[in-house]
Amino acid sequence: MTTRARKFVGIALALVGIYAVVCVGLFWAMCQPPDDFGRIMKHVPMPSMMVLPFRPLWMVARGGGLSAGDEAPDFELLTHDKSETVRLRDFRGEKPVVLVFGSYT
Amino acid sequence: MVYIQEAHPSDLWQLPSNVKDEVIFSSPKTFDERVNVANACVRDLGIEFPALLDNIEDSTEQAYTGWPDRLYVIDQQGRVAYKSDPGPFGFTPDAMEEALKKVLESGGAAASLLPYRAGASSPQGNRQSRRKE
Repeated sequence: MTTRARKFVGIALALVGIYAVVCVGLFWAMCQPPDDFGRIMKHVPMPSMMVLPFRPLWMVARGGGLSAGDEAPDFELLTHDKSETVRLRDFRGEKPVVLVFGSYT
Repeated sequence: MVYIQEAHPSDLWQLPSNVKDEVIFSSPKTFDERVNVANACVRDLGIEFPALLDNIEDSTEQAYTGWPDRLYVIDQQGRVAYKSDPGPFGFTPDAMEEALKKVLESGGAAASLLPYRAGASSPQGNRQSRRKE
């Protein structure tokens, strides 16, 4: 291998290594609580999302522990106008429930 | 709807699209702040199905890994019938609707054994019985 070829391979390996480290770092950030993840992402330039495998890492990091067939964790929450509480369990044996998790932003 | 932590609040990872649309809120730190943003969300987006407030400890979001957005269908037996991939990529209402239809078709037969469901077995009746949280 010529010196030039060796140099090229060295640079390529270094770039692959940096890319891998950044991917591991991004995955680690995705596994943090949402607020911490947001605090980190605030400093990440958006164009970097074009070259990083955000989507596949996200699918794994935010996969969650529930699977189809699992018992749905019960909750008792206030309605947005605080007029009443709704308990998931109360719908059992009655009707299916659609849960739409989300926020405004 | 289960209103949870903001996805892109102004103090954390704000997106240019939200700035353009003037949807600018900082991350609620108290339950009362969360109530205010949730009500703005319901009002401005014209959400007509029931909206619930996750507590400030985010225990419902954590139990369901709901952040930033996600869809579930819970069947009549209280089991997870459908769980979408995490949003925004996985937020696919069409897939959720298909899953809900299946649950209503299969669960409707079992539920018709219950006295108060008698006569509610037509597809139209099932459709009207759907309830979104």
